Amino acid sequence: MKNLLTSLIALVAMAVFGAARSPAQSMDDLNLQIHGYATQGFVYSTNNNWDSTSSSDGSAGWTDAVVNLSVQPLPKLRIGVQARYFLLGTYGNTIILDWAEADYKVNERFGFRVGDVKTPVGLLNETQDIDPAHLWVLLPQSVYSIASRSSQLDDDGGVVYGAIPIGESGGKVAYRGYGGQRVINGQDGYFQPFRDEGMSLPNGITGRTFGGTLRWDAPIQGLEAGASVDSECSSGSLLAGTYMGTVSIRRAYIPYYFTRYERNKVMVAGEYSRIAVLSLVQFPGAPPAYTRTDDRNFYVMASYKLAEKLTAGAYYSSSINLQVPVSSARYQKDWTVAGRYDFSPNLYLKLEQHFIDGTLIGLAGIDNPNLQPNMRMTMLKMGVSF
Amino acid sequence: MKASEGPLMSRRILILMVAMAAWTLCPRLQGQVLVIANPTVAAANVSRAELRDIFTGASSSLRGGAQVTPVLLKQGPVHDEFLSLYIGKSDSGFRAGWRSILFSGQGVIPRTLGSDAEVVEYVTHTPGAIGYIAPATPHSGVKILAVR
Repeated sequence: MKNLLTSLIALVAMAVFGAARSPAQSMDDLNLQIHGYATQGFVYSTNNNWDSTSSSDGSAGWTDAVVNLSVQPLPKLRIGVQARYFLLGTYGNTIILDWAEADYKVNERFGFRVGDVKTPVGLLNETQDIDPAHLWVLLPQSVYSIASRSSQLDDDGGVVYGAIPIGESGGKVAYRGYGGQRVINGQDGYFQPFRDEGMSLPNGITGRTFGGTLRWDAPIQGLEAGASVDSECSSGSLLAGTYMGTVSIRRAYIPYYFTRYERNKVMVAGEYSRIAVLSLVQFPGAPPAYTRTDDRNFYVMASYKLAEKLTAGAYYSSSINLQVPVSSARYQKDWTVAGRYDFSPNLYLKLEQHFIDGTLIGLAGIDNPNLQPNMRMTMLKMGVSF
Repeated sequence: MKASEGPLMSRRILILMVAMAAWTLCPRLQGQVLVIANPTVAAANVSRAELRDIFTGASSSLRGGAQVTPVLLKQGPVHDEFLSLYIGKSDSGFRAGWRSILFSGQGVIPRTLGSDAEVVEYVTHTPGAIGYIAPATPHSGVKILAVR
C-alpha cells in the first residue's frame, strides 16, 4: 500500500511538472489547485486537564495545518494528496499524509477512488478534521472524538460511490462502500487507557476494515437521513516495561444513524452510534485479559446564522459505556454553545463553551491524578484558509 | 362599486393576472440572475434541484448525463442572489461545503471568477461550463438556461 501511495504522489508530481514543461498541456488544463488552512486553538478548563493538554492552566497546544494539492487532468479523473501537521497536547506533533488518492467518476451512479482514502461513515466522519467547514471548535465528542481520530478517519484501500434517483419526486439515494486496511498509530488517544496503565503500542495496531453508508437526500430541500456500518478488526504488539504482549480487537460492526436539515440560515442535525467491541490483551505466561466496551453515543445540534458573518449554535452530546460500573467514568454529557465570526471568506474566529458532566471521554487519568466528575471548558480558535 | 367601474376593475384584474402568469412562466426573470451555459450544453432548461446539486458538488451532470463544469462568482449581489434563489445556503455555508469536499478528497473547488464578464468569457470558451450572471451583462456567445 505504501508503494501505491508513493505512486500516487509521484503521479501528481509528474502531472504538475510535466504540464509545466509541456506546451501541449498547460497547468490550466490540469485544473491544478493548491489549497490549505491553518488553525490555532486555545483551551481553558476548570477541574480537569482535557485531552493531554494542561488546559486547567490554559493551553495553546492545539495546532492544525493542512496543505492540499489536486489535479484534474481529465473531466472524470482527479488525483490529490493532502499533508497535515497536527498537535493537540502530547498527541501528534508530526506531519502526516492525510490522504492520497486517485478518483475516477464514471457517471453519477458509479465512481471509485483508491489510495489512502477517507472512511465514509456517519454524518461527519469524512469532514470531522476539517475545521474551516464547521461552526464548532470541537465536534460532539460522543461520536467524533478528536483524540482518537485515526481510529476511524481513513484507511488504505478504496471507496466506491454513486447516487441513484428515486423516481420523479423521491429524492435520491447516495451510497458509499469501502474496504481496506486501517492503521492506528501508537500515539493515538485511542490507546490512552493502555498508557494510563503504563503500557505502550510501539507500532500501533492494524487490521482489515470495510463498511458503507446509504444516505437519502429527501425531496424536501436540505433534508437528508442515512445509516452506516463500519466493521473493523485489529491487532498489534503491546509493551509493558520489558514484557512484550499482544492486543487484539475482535471484529466489531459499528452502526451509525443520522439526519440533518440545512437550509438558508438554519441547520439541525442528530446522530447515534454504538461501539460494542471486545478486546483481548495477552502476555506470555499470564492469563488472557478481556475487556468489553459498549458505548452508546448520540448528539443533537442546531445552528442559526445571525448575521452575514456571525453564526451561533448549540449541541448536546451524550456517551455512556454500559460495561463500566455506575460512576462518573461510565458516561459523559456535554452541553455546548458556540459562535463563529467570519472576518472574510478566509479568516475566522470561533468561541465555544462546554459544560461537561462525566469523565468517559478525553480525560486521561495520567493527566488528572485528582479527576473531578464535572468541568467547564472554554475554547477559542482562529483559522485561516486559502 | 359603480356600474361603470366594473369593466375597469375587470381589466385591472386581467392585467394583474397576465403579469402574474408572465412572472410564473418566465422563471429566469424571477431574480436578478441569469443561468448561462456553453452552447455545447444540450439542455434548454435546468431544474432547481439540478442546479443545487451541480453547484454544491453533489452532481456533475445534468439530467440525460451531460457533464457540466460549474463556475462561481467570487462575491457580490448576483452571487448572493443566486445562492438565495437556487442553493438555499449562505455564502459562508456554501464555501464551507466546498471546503469540506476539497479537504476530504471528494472533489475540487470550481473555478471562481471576479466579475460577470469573466464568467461570460469563461463559459463562452469552455465546453460544458455553466455559470450565473446579472441579466444586464452582455452575454453573446453563451446560451441561457431557463430554470424550472
